[in-house]
Amino acid sequence: MSAASQAPAIRELVIVGRDAPVWLSACVMQYALGPAGVNVTVIELPPQAQAADLCVSLPALEALHTRLRIDESRLIGATRGAFTLGRRFVDDSGSAQAFFHAHGSIGTRIDRKEFLPQWLHARHQGFDHSFEEFSLTAMAARQNRMLLPDAAIDGFGFTDYGYHLPAIPYGAWLRQLALRRGVRCHATRELGIRVDSQRGIAGLMLDDGRAVTGDFFLDVTGREALLNKALGVGIESWRDAFPVDRVLSACGALLNPVPIYSEIRAQRSGWISLAASQVCIHVQQAYCSDLAPEPSELEATTRMPLQAIVIRDLQPGRRLNAWERNCVAIGQAACVFDPLHFVDLHAVQVGLVHLLPLFPVQADFGVERDEYNKNVRAAFGRMRDFQSAHYLLNRYGSDSDAFWTRARAAAPLAELAHKIDAFRARGETVYYEDEAFTIDDWQALFIGHGVIPETWDPAVDRTPPELLRSELTRIQGFIRQKVDEQRTHTAYLHEVCAPPRAAVMPPFK
Amino acid sequence: MGVADPLPGGAHDLEFNVHHAPLRIVIVGGGSAGWMCAAAAAQVLHPERYRLTLIESDDIGTVGVGEATLPALRDFNELLGLDEAQFMRETQGTFKLGIEFRDWDVPGSYIHPFGAFGELWGGVEFQHFWMRARRQGLNPPPLEEFSVAVRACRRNAFDFPSSSTVLSTFYGYAYHFDASLYADFLRRWSVARGVTRIEGQVVDVALDGAQGNIESLTLKSGQRIAGDFFIDCSGFRSLLLGDKLQVPWEDWSQWLPCDRAWAVPCERSADFTPYTRSTAKKGGWIWRIPLQHRTGNGHVFSTRYVSEDEARATLLGQLDARALGEPRLLKFRAGRRAQVWKRNCLALGLASGFLEPLESTSLFLIQKAIQDMLRLLPSPEARGVDERLVREFNRSSDALYERIRDFLILHYTANRRFGEPLWDHVRDYELPESLHHKLRLFDARGHVPYFKDGFFSRDSWLAVLFGQGLMPGAHDRLADCLPRELLDARLRELHSRVAAHAGAMPSHAELIARYCGEPPVTKQAMSS
Repeated sequence: MSAASQAPAIRELVIVGRDAPVWLSACVMQYALGPAGVNVTVIELPPQAQAADLCVSLPALEALHTRLRIDESRLIGATRGAFTLGRRFVDDSGSAQAFFHAHGSIGTRIDRKEFLPQWLHARHQGFDHSFEEFSLTAMAARQNRMLLPDAAIDGFGFTDYGYHLPAIPYGAWLRQLALRRGVRCHATRELGIRVDSQRGIAGLMLDDGRAVTGDFFLDVTGREALLNKALGVGIESWRDAFPVDRVLSACGALLNPVPIYSEIRAQRSGWISLAASQVCIHVQQAYCSDLAPEPSELEATTRMPLQAIVIRDLQPGRRLNAWERNCVAIGQAACVFDPLHFVDLHAVQVGLVHLLPLFPVQADFGVERDEYNKNVRAAFGRMRDFQSAHYLLNRYGSDSDAFWTRARAAAPLAELAHKIDAFRARGETVYYEDEAFTIDDWQALFIGHGVIPETWDPAVDRTPPELLRSELTRIQGFIRQKVDEQRTHTAYLHEVCAPPRAAVMPPFK
Repeated sequence: MGVADPLPGGAHDLEFNVHHAPLRIVIVGGGSAGWMCAAAAAQVLHPERYRLTLIESDDIGTVGVGEATLPALRDFNELLGLDEAQFMRETQGTFKLGIEFRDWDVPGSYIHPFGAFGELWGGVEFQHFWMRARRQGLNPPPLEEFSVAVRACRRNAFDFPSSSTVLSTFYGYAYHFDASLYADFLRRWSVARGVTRIEGQVVDVALDGAQGNIESLTLKSGQRIAGDFFIDCSGFRSLLLGDKLQVPWEDWSQWLPCDRAWAVPCERSADFTPYTRSTAKKGGWIWRIPLQHRTGNGHVFSTRYVSEDEARATLLGQLDARALGEPRLLKFRAGRRAQVWKRNCLALGLASGFLEPLESTSLFLIQKAIQDMLRLLPSPEARGVDERLVREFNRSSDALYERIRDFLILHYTANRRFGEPLWDHVRDYELPESLHHKLRLFDARGHVPYFKDGFFSRDSWLAVLFGQGLMPGAHDRLADCLPRELLDARLRELHSRVAAHAGAMPSHAELIARYCGEPPVTKQAMSS
């Protein structure tokens, strides 16, 4: 039973960083804590986002935007972004089967039992239809249609979408929003950091000589993790699980119609992702520097001229503590992920939403810090596992393709290994705490890579074959009907998200 | 004497799956554990692929005291397609909205309900608003008055949650019933659906030479029962898992020192509560479970702190109606088997572990294990045990046992019964790290972690943490966003809304009489 604290609550929150992540952090913290008396100041470092960069969101971002009262249509219009229903994984050599990873549930309960075991049961009886054909979201994506739920769809399952937001305009939009809501901002090119062994960050020096103090700090400086590093926080490397150490980003042509899903195409030397906005196709090529592909391969594969090319090194790994003394690292400052599945923006959201209910209320916040670090560590681990599974389970390339051989040779960490085992054995989809991806996401991943369970839930044995077949047919019919009812992505973008007639937001300098 | 195949006539080629004999599941022991398992298996598994046999002895009494349950049991009954009113008639059942804890901290009472306190406002949990209101001089009513379920308990009222009002979604319910009547009911149900019941007592367990799997059981009569998969419901003796397969016992008595219970029924009293009562005593605690025909009572205690005779006298002295028979003594230890599933043997109920019935978790643990087992048990084609699935089952079982253990320890450790040896001991002992961390977090700012698997839910933890007298030093900053006048207005409005909702409910006694007394009335008519 502790006495009520005498120490003042945190009043001055200083967020250091750049680009969309720093402004998203500022908006969220200001919105949630501003009315409670917390002042939010951003120390803005020079931007690193390039024209080729795309912020890709998971479905969860929509809810966060709604809390911030961001109008989705206006945002998509102003940034010339696009919607996404998921990703398609393709083997450019053609040997492994392509599959969808769509944001939504697959199938629906049949005879009061889960869909996956029913599908396995049907397959065993010779009913040969792919798993993804039963994903309403994947089927809509294939037809390039936007999927909006109605009562019938809600009864069937769930469907979600994400966004493709060009990074520079998205950052600019959030910046404007934050400033309008009362966030203060100081721009600086250089940053001096004073550290105190007890408190953590004692103060900051800007390049015009000004000193900035604060009660609490967020480090959103990206992979440089300037504050976190100044505090001496170490990193655990994930190199063993993720061979990619170089990523090339570029702008490709604008595609018409704008695709409503991205493609991740396996090559001999790595993979290439193509994700569309209304500005261009954002291309990423991921590879190992010691197995670098020929420069001409990229244009040859994408079959489009590429511009604004930028190449970055990549060192995947997680900071040992995201929250160290009075400073919380958010986004890449806390954890650098492999680019697969575009989880970077979600990592920012995870860091923020876990912080809000644990935001310090007294001078001593050691227990909140411990809880936060534990939760965020686990959440990042589950995201990492989802990415890692792709590298482990794929059947791309031949034995002479060093990249994929190397990828498959990684040893999975215990939680993932157990998950793969249980799925392989029985189709049992183990779901831990703090997962970012849904059970359906995991099932799509496993089945897509050809991991077909050896056995399945015995409960479905009692479903008569005729009922099973007729239900599957009924589901297919429902999906066809619902997809046909939807508007195309193009039509949706035009109707709902017409760009503002005023001048398009200037590129952020 | 040859091995008796429980499938008369031997295995056949089956139309469904050629060349595979059905998997023979043998359940050792009846009672709630054995018959819940048999019933669920009979409902879910294909009769041509799985054969079910249950061996129970009429001589060995089952523990069968008046039992309180958790809302999950309703799902179990629904799986079997049981009609609720009929089930309650058969088992002398009553409704349960929660548990009242008396004198567990200082003299007084709090209720742990199946339901939430207050509402979420702006995504922020209610307790933060309530704590802020206290701190800022708004003098809100006690937290329990913001719970529909608690207010109903205080009035001895009950009604079914309906979807027509928002507040109804903030509570659930479970049952009190006579577990031996439930087991009897499930026995008749299961046998009617093809489960073979063999009366007998297991005296020997034979392992196969190769893998050390259980191959067959020998009964006192000399009959041998062969099987592929064995479910140990033999109670504390844990004949198969503990005794034969030598799975070690993990003792938890350093945290939960109670090792005995006296149980005695008494006549039904006028005070017909829709909740279980647990009253803390010098050496343990006394339960009171209302059934339709009588009340179940028991004194759970530790022989380290009170003698069997004194505990017996205390129990009899506490009864609020005439005793119906002599108290029975049960002996136990708190703890569990290091693994609940080993090779081809899986234990349920007391054979797998024991946690005192403080939060009515016994049948829940059985139910959860049955549900997991039915998904993960060997298939007839691959008769051997798949260690990958055993690992998943045990992982899930371990996590559940530990969370429940921590929750029970909380009731004991957070007490202010100073100067009483048992209570001083439990207040001062070293806690499991998982619980210690939770207490620190709550103490600092009233925060309880959220678990997706929910067990126990965040609301349950809050009920017991506050109930046991803990008061956090601060509240969540996010609750400071509401202007003070608006906070006051909202609290008042919610408080009256909760009171009105609970106030409209009929009495528990009246509802029981109408619903599952005679003649039977449908639920629709009840809650209109």
